[in-house]
Amino acid sequence: MMREHRSLIVWPSLIAAGLLAVACSDQPNVSMAPKRPSFWVTPPPAQCPTGKWTGGGRIDPPSNHDATDEDAFHEAQFFAVVLPTMTGKFTFGFNVFLGQEVVNGQPTGNCIVTKGEIEVNGHDFVTEGQTGTRKIAWHVSIHDGADAYDGRPVYADVFADASLKGFCLVVGIPDRPPPDGYMTARENGKGSTEPFELAQFEVCDNDRGKPQKGKPGPDAMRWRSEHHGDTHLIYLTGGNVVEHGS
Amino acid sequence: MNGKSMHWVNRLAALGLVVGLVAGLAAAGNAQSVGGQAYSTYVNTPLGYSGQSPLAVLPAVSGTDGATADAEGSALNVAGALSSDFLNSITSGEIGTAETGAQSTASAASVNILNGLITADEVVANVMSSASEGGAFSSADGSTFTNLAIAGVGSLSGDSPIAPNMNISLPGVGYVVLNEQIPSGDGVSSSGLTVNMIHVYLQNLVGGILNPLTGQIIGGTLQTTGEIIVGSATSTVAS
Repeated sequence: MMREHRSLIVWPSLIAAGLLAVACSDQPNVSMAPKRPSFWVTPPPAQCPTGKWTGGGRIDPPSNHDATDEDAFHEAQFFAVVLPTMTGKFTFGFNVFLGQEVVNGQPTGNCIVTKGEIEVNGHDFVTEGQTGTRKIAWHVSIHDGADAYDGRPVYADVFADASLKGFCLVVGIPDRPPPDGYMTARENGKGSTEPFELAQFEVCDNDRGKPQKGKPGPDAMRWRSEHHGDTHLIYLTGGNVVEHGS
Repeated sequence: MNGKSMHWVNRLAALGLVVGLVAGLAAAGNAQSVGGQAYSTYVNTPLGYSGQSPLAVLPAVSGTDGATADAEGSALNVAGALSSDFLNSITSGEIGTAETGAQSTASAASVNILNGLITADEVVANVMSSASEGGAFSSADGSTFTNLAIAGVGSLSGDSPIAPNMNISLPGVGYVVLNEQIPSGDGVSSSGLTVNMIHVYLQNLVGGILNPLTGQIIGGTLQTTGEIIVGSATSTVAS
């Protein structure tokens, strides 16, 4: 009787464990036949401070300007300092995780990059008002909420873009403490004029939850360099930008 | 409950457990995955060797995470085979609830292959793969050559794409494939693409008989003796 009682307790538990294993799996369909993925869900709205953004590709400024998303409101908010225009060919890749700044154990309400890597390569680009072409590889590295090159937090913001097709992310916004804001990028390459400089990075995921199809865009990228200029927001010639979860 | 009933309960429970665990493990095995790598140059010839460089390989990505890797090289010179500078490789990938993707880019400037046989001011390989509810696909948009020239064949001015897998014979040397594209996946739940912007295959004729009247070799087989790759990028997704 005692053994029977134990079985009554143990077996339902094992059944539950078995069902739990099914329920917790990412993909409910285990058919080996190729078919459309069935587990995709509409992502929640992009937001700060919990977003994760990844992507890479190429832009060719001044071609394919995403003028709609380079709207006056956000220009004034994040890009008020006017820089000369950079034109040419730029490739890039990045991974940015956002979080909330905490000071003395208290959240400040500011959105920061908790970890991130941004690589931007300028290939024979031209800066308005300067002679000749340059090749520069910029790199930004952020670990544990601090810029690896200056030790400061890097502030960011996410907002619905003006085209109403998705969201944009700005990394290195100017109006958060420390007073100078922005972020510090390392420069490499024959065209580099200093080892480090302030920089800003913007990407727009204009096709959230859908594959990047079409050439150019619809996703866009912008790079601003203190000493070399501003690409402005440009639709991707190739590549992808994905805001992929919280 | 009698002993016979308990016997069936136990069997049913065991079946439920086995089915559950197997299904769970199978589903885990079908989890979304992304992959990517990029490198600017690779030389494997009798003239010299240089491995894939600078090589960027996408770290493992799980959950709804993302990752990126990049590598930079100032210059590369394998005498007589390849010289190039401003070498950059980037790869990134992400797994999301609505879209999973990977994207890679590799570039090389001032490219000079086989003592000027092939030159280019710049080569950019750019690929992306994406999987979502709409299916999976890959693209090499953004892959171009800048001022490409092949001695005895012709040249292109400015920044130009080239049709995929353009095969050009290089007499006495072998052949080159421009914008070599190697797809993978089923296009539904998986997709991948490798693009090698310049892939030179060095070949030698092995065997054959010299015709003393014409001075030409009759028969024999062409054997690949080396290869040079400039601008290689790969991205893959599976869901």
